[in-house]
Amino acid sequence: MPFVDQIIRYGSLSVVGLGKNTGKTECLNYVMRRLSEMRKVVAVTSIGIDGEGVDQVTFTPKPSIYLEKGMYFTTLSSFYTRKQFQAEICHVENAGTVLGKMVTARVLERGKMVLAGPSDTVSLQRWVSRIPERFPVDVCLVDGAISRLSSASPVVTRSMVLATGAAYSANVRTLVERTRFVYDTVRLPQAPSGLREKLEQVTKGIRIITDKGEITDPGVRSVLLPDQVRKVLETGGNRLYVPGVVGNALLKALGERKEAGETELYVRDFSRIFAEPRVFYSFLRKGGRILQLFTTHLLAICVNPLSPEGIRLKSEELVDKMQRVVEVPVYDIKKIRS
Amino acid sequence: MNFARFAERIDGLQYMADKMELSGSRVRRYLMQSNFCSNGDVLNSDFDILQKALDILSDPDAMSGVMQLRHLFAQVHDIQGTLHALSQRHTLDEVELFEIKYFATLCSDFRNVCTLIGFPYENPEDLPQVRELLDPHGTGTVSFQLYDCYSQSLSQARALARSTDPEKEPETWNTVQDTIQKEELAVREMLSQKLNTSYQVLRDNFDRMARIEIWFAKADLAVRYEMVRPDIVTGSADDQLHIEGMINPQIADILGTVNKTFQPVSITLTSGPCLLTGANMSGKTVVLKTLALIQTLAQFSFFVPARRASIPLVKDVFLVIGDKQDQYRGLSSFAAEMLQLDRIMAVIRKGTRLLLLVDEPARTTNPVEGAAILCALVDFLERYRTMSLVSTHYGDLGLSCRKLRVSGFDTAKVKGRLDPLMMNDYMDYSLTEDKDGSVPMEALPIARLLGVDDSFIGSAQKYVKRTIK
Repeated sequence: MPFVDQIIRYGSLSVVGLGKNTGKTECLNYVMRRLSEMRKVVAVTSIGIDGEGVDQVTFTPKPSIYLEKGMYFTTLSSFYTRKQFQAEICHVENAGTVLGKMVTARVLERGKMVLAGPSDTVSLQRWVSRIPERFPVDVCLVDGAISRLSSASPVVTRSMVLATGAAYSANVRTLVERTRFVYDTVRLPQAPSGLREKLEQVTKGIRIITDKGEITDPGVRSVLLPDQVRKVLETGGNRLYVPGVVGNALLKALGERKEAGETELYVRDFSRIFAEPRVFYSFLRKGGRILQLFTTHLLAICVNPLSPEGIRLKSEELVDKMQRVVEVPVYDIKKIRS
Repeated sequence: MNFARFAERIDGLQYMADKMELSGSRVRRYLMQSNFCSNGDVLNSDFDILQKALDILSDPDAMSGVMQLRHLFAQVHDIQGTLHALSQRHTLDEVELFEIKYFATLCSDFRNVCTLIGFPYENPEDLPQVRELLDPHGTGTVSFQLYDCYSQSLSQARALARSTDPEKEPETWNTVQDTIQKEELAVREMLSQKLNTSYQVLRDNFDRMARIEIWFAKADLAVRYEMVRPDIVTGSADDQLHIEGMINPQIADILGTVNKTFQPVSITLTSGPCLLTGANMSGKTVVLKTLALIQTLAQFSFFVPARRASIPLVKDVFLVIGDKQDQYRGLSSFAAEMLQLDRIMAVIRKGTRLLLLVDEPARTTNPVEGAAILCALVDFLERYRTMSLVSTHYGDLGLSCRKLRVSGFDTAKVKGRLDPLMMNDYMDYSLTEDKDGSVPMEALPIARLLGVDDSFIGSAQKYVKRTIK
């Protein structure tokens, strides 16, 4: 069966949709059902709010998150108390939010659920590491998202599946190109572990990595001021770490440097890159390198040829074209079921 | 008045609270709401508890028990909201019922660990009836659901739901779901009602857990700063406050970062005012702040940072540092100080027994009136026999009250320019009884040692001579 064995090996997976209605939830449901058939115990949560019967953005019906008997799930208490199936509460987080406390429960009979789990990277990371300590869980699943609106990075799980589809772009060529861009960011090389240990605690500002490998703080607070960043590099060297979001302006500024070819940009993980593909590739073409502190194993790309506006792309053509540009298996989420 | 209010007024009290390792806002809130205690019996029995906690901390056999206890502290959830809902006879939801069940389990864990380490105080009461109610099958696990056995109609409705396909028979399914919700609500109402009878015990246990944690945090603090149990003096109006070798933890910590130590200071105060004189930088303000801190700590059932302390109980402690400019209300530092003193004197006139510590009153106005204000204040404190220490630079006031002087500065020891950070090395901070009323003239020598321009100091010197003539 496609990629499910690998998920078990890695122990944790996030399913990340590149846009709304790209088949992320279907993909997640597929994974959960398969794992359940293999008698693996699964725990699932979602970044932010998901699983509503109607998509909150496009108001189109979307597949619900079905929870199988024996699974564990984590959601806000205000959603938990609305459930229409039997479950038992196993753990409640001490700290709460306005929407209630985070509840972890075990499913006693199959049912639908609104999942709204941890919404920042630190709590999500804690969830992924604590759940298997507390409960006899084989695999942790995260219903992920990459967006500026969510600060939680899906890279906390050891493996990942990308969901993309007609809703993301109605033109096969554009869809393939845009998906390939995300794929390329995911596959950026990882920073050497020595540097990673030094940099992972830094979450604000920028850092310069000197030729001797020392980390210095040039005192620049925001990378939204690329001129400052450039000035800093002129004196400090060619290696730069940006823990926050990397946008067009910064990458452009780095690409326009005389020493663009020697420039190394370190980012936290692929989900922090919000530059346009054009700018991203231009920087790489000039010889610049981008490295990530944290990486995850991309297992597959799932495509959904249908979009809520009624667009139906040719499944085989889409899968085939996509498969030519990426080195991980590509599946049509509608066909994978059968 | 509670701890939070004192922490705003007494310098260094918040620092001590911040140094306490508490598991979260639940316990910190409890500490902040604890009350200033003027009852000697209560304080003495509190000190017995604190001493017991200290004994346990220093007992190597209790170490693993203490570890377990600390682990438990972090396990307690803040169920204030749930308890409030229970007291108001609201119907709890499933998550709240889980919280109560979990809490009841923790109560027995606390009891077990307290027995293990031999801490007989504040143990939570066992809640067998709560555990039985929320664990009807007696499995002993903390997980919770609305069990079928609570209600036959609920279990029947659930069985019906299981045999209904929501896709094929949506109407039946919806009806069944409505029934389930109704029955679940009935179960929750029944459980909430039964739990209401245990509300008081739950509430008390919740507070006890916070108190146990605070006792052990106070004991940790006592170990860290070598604090001792104060002797509480009660009875006659002529009680003496007597402290040997007191230190100020906050300043000691700051000195510690530059490898310096705090010179412990001893002091005795009797009823009535006492003047405190000494050169600039001789630590007069620190003496006042430390005294206020020690008196306050003792009356919040802390041990105190000193070698020995006997402390008469008061109803209130006032520390007037006089740096509280209130420009937003249009008050200068002088006006703010005068109004503060006026309010305190009103309290004293009512006969309230208090400890008053004032740093250089009226120093921000002209010296003639300033000295006059000081004399009037001392007169007033004499009349009401208010235990107080008042620091000043004004000399030869002809006051008959008791006077203490900081032993002072050994200028001979200084080689070259004086580094303010090195002040510690040349200063003897101990206090001596002062029979004559003059004040030390050390301001200019100190300024010179600090490296202030020589010609400027020479010019100032000429003015000193002219004034003395």
